[in-house]
Amino acid sequence: MTSVIDYVPGDTLLHRLNPVTKLALAAAIIAATLLADTYPLLLALLALTFALAAYAGVPGRLARLLKLVVPLGVVMFVFQLIFTRTGGVVWGFVTTDGLLTGPKVCLRLMGVALPLVLMLMVTRLTDLANACVEVLRVPYRYAFTFTTALRFVPVFSQEMNAIMEAQTARGVEYDTRNPIRKLQLMLPLCVPLLVSSVGKTEATALAAEQRGFYLRTRESSFKRYPLVARDWIVLACCVALVALGVVL
Amino acid sequence: MAQPSPIIRLDDVSFSYGASATPALDHVSLGIAPGEFVGVIGPSGAGKSTLAAALSGAIPHHYRGQLFGAVTVDGRDTCEVTLTDISRVVGSISQDIDAQMVASVVEDELLFGLENFGVPHDQIPGRLASALETVGIAELREREIATLSGGQKQKVAIAAMLALRPRVLVLDEPTAALDPVSSSTVFETLRALNRDAGITVVVIEQKVALLCEHCDRIVVMDRGQVAFEGTPRTVFSHGRELRALGVDSPRVARISNSLAEHGVIEPGAPYLSVAEARDLVADLVRGRAAGEKNAAAGTPAKPRPARTADPVVSFRDVSFAYPGSRATVEHLSFDARPGEIVGIVGQNGAGKTTLTKLLNGLFKPASGEVLVAGLDTRDTPTSRLAAHVSTLFQNPDRQLCKDTVLDELAFGLELTGVGAGEARERARSVAERFGLSLDAAPFSLSRGQRQMVALASVVVMEPEVVLLDEPTSGLDYRECMTVMETVREMAEKGCAVVMVCHDMEVVSDFAERVIVMADGRILGQGPADQVFADAGLMARADVEAPQVVRLAAELARDVSPAFAGASQVSDIVDTVEGMLK
Repeated sequence: MTSVIDYVPGDTLLHRLNPVTKLALAAAIIAATLLADTYPLLLALLALTFALAAYAGVPGRLARLLKLVVPLGVVMFVFQLIFTRTGGVVWGFVTTDGLLTGPKVCLRLMGVALPLVLMLMVTRLTDLANACVEVLRVPYRYAFTFTTALRFVPVFSQEMNAIMEAQTARGVEYDTRNPIRKLQLMLPLCVPLLVSSVGKTEATALAAEQRGFYLRTRESSFKRYPLVARDWIVLACCVALVALGVVL
Repeated sequence: MAQPSPIIRLDDVSFSYGASATPALDHVSLGIAPGEFVGVIGPSGAGKSTLAAALSGAIPHHYRGQLFGAVTVDGRDTCEVTLTDISRVVGSISQDIDAQMVASVVEDELLFGLENFGVPHDQIPGRLASALETVGIAELREREIATLSGGQKQKVAIAAMLALRPRVLVLDEPTAALDPVSSSTVFETLRALNRDAGITVVVIEQKVALLCEHCDRIVVMDRGQVAFEGTPRTVFSHGRELRALGVDSPRVARISNSLAEHGVIEPGAPYLSVAEARDLVADLVRGRAAGEKNAAAGTPAKPRPARTADPVVSFRDVSFAYPGSRATVEHLSFDARPGEIVGIVGQNGAGKTTLTKLLNGLFKPASGEVLVAGLDTRDTPTSRLAAHVSTLFQNPDRQLCKDTVLDELAFGLELTGVGAGEARERARSVAERFGLSLDAAPFSLSRGQRQMVALASVVVMEPEVVLLDEPTSGLDYRECMTVMETVREMAEKGCAVVMVCHDMEVVSDFAERVIVMADGRILGQGPADQVFADAGLMARADVEAPQVVRLAAELARDVSPAFAGASQVSDIVDTVEGMLK
């Protein structure tokens, strides 16, 4: 099973950008989304994300993520309806202001979640870590922790799956249709998962140390990540995007 | 002959973890000479992994505890140099291969060490390419590590070490999760590195046949001490003592040890390979009983009672494809009857695990039907099937989830609707039979003990079908035999047993019927001795028949037809003795 944020190889401009530039691009779209206050701009930013995904050849994968984000967005929408108490009452607890701002919250959520995931899809984790160390001068320790955490997500989800299968085969009703019951049943599994995770992280720390982790400096990386002309152009666009968010 | 000074030396080393009073290593003295290929074997809990940690500097630098004595690596005391500096000499690969990886792409995995140790950047591409080339995985360079098979990952780990040009490689059970063919490839790779690049290899391993074939020297550990050490021939001449420790001997060595005990040959020089055993037995028989070609055919293949009861498991033309994965099986048909032990063999990726998941209902067939105890798995929730099929998984940790052994054993029963009182009563009696302490926390037990708890939780269910997925991996010989004897008892009580197993010796010892799989299909099935004797079938499935079966086939061809069909050590010994009388 592959995870949502698996790297998708490619040779587009987006793939070839400096990882730091990509990070900046994602950050700019997110910032603009948070600042934007009009529907056209929110929709345009979301469209921009999908256009970039289409260009990089990963629109399908990004769309798959919507399945996860849209239900969350709906929950946020409902909360917004409940907690917005200003404006005229439409029906029950629903107010006009709630109806006006609710969809915005929903769109913002999508606009914040998707760019970052898109960026991770077109960047190899190692490149991201090395570029952050070289360009942003992030200490390697933090970069390594971050990439390792991301790398372990699918490993742990596989482990969780295997544990659930083993428990189902013992007779635990994970095949129940009741989601709350399922969640209740899943909680005790945190113990075996935690046990195996702690063991794995320990072993990885040892393996890294035995391969010279503590000798690593900013100069170590074999690949270099200089910011070139196309990066500066994209970075300029990023500034423009944020400015757009402030203005509109 | 003057011994070259050892590259790693342990001088009266003792180590105990944390504040524990029982030492994991107990006054061990051992030298590893440059260029040696050393195998380490021993029952679980004997201190093998601790020994590996001491050799690679993880003790004292990573694991906390009390260390006595001195470990010197390349002339320097490991307490006085950093782990990083020890790593320049000793490359070490841990048991958990996923945890060994530090990157997500093969190339980056190799780069990591090269970059850190400051290898000049103009040398990096060359070293990277040659390491991949040497291990034979040049084509995997751009691959995501998560998509590789266990054997491939193992080779990536070796290549990543190799790129750093260590003088010693220490590996902790590199083949534990691998099928026999991949296991052999890993050992052949190590042997080639040892021979061609002069790298000293220390490998902890349970597979005795591989150790015999490749090692210069074998060290047997027991309770933190070195019990035996020497060439494979010297070590395995102590077959009886090794067995008492919980260490298996290759079957061919057992044949020669048994012949020696019967006074047929001189003791002390066990056979180590099938070819060697064939030649020696051939000489023995020709020399002493020339012309006796028509010896009455021995007593191979005891007739087994035909099973007539209705099958409790039936696969009828079952096909299944897992979306987005290679787990595809097609047209599987077989039955398992009460009291029968059915072994399923085949390479990794042959579809064995998919078959087991179809059987216990985790997967539902796309076409065809699976009937278990009269229930169609498509109409029955997996959790309901659990009352009829009990599965023992390869990794016991996925199965265990309770705080005490008693709760753990009672849990499965309670899930299937047995009252709490009765469940605890049954759990208590099974725990006693297994000698498990009722209040112990399963997760604090050793790996072998955890497997016993998992097995006990299967036994307590008194199921109609038992499904075993690699029941013996990660266990030492004694634990393995305990597990299998328990399974045999369950079968005798009328339980149908289906087991997936890489260890052909175990399959041939315990399974009545064998199903051979390859590429998601069943290539053949039948009585175990017939299936294993079918050389063509074995070759097509890329499965290596057990040593005794291969030896019997070669002897039947070259020496006397009396050997045909022998599948147990005693069959061969009896036949040889019969011919010599």
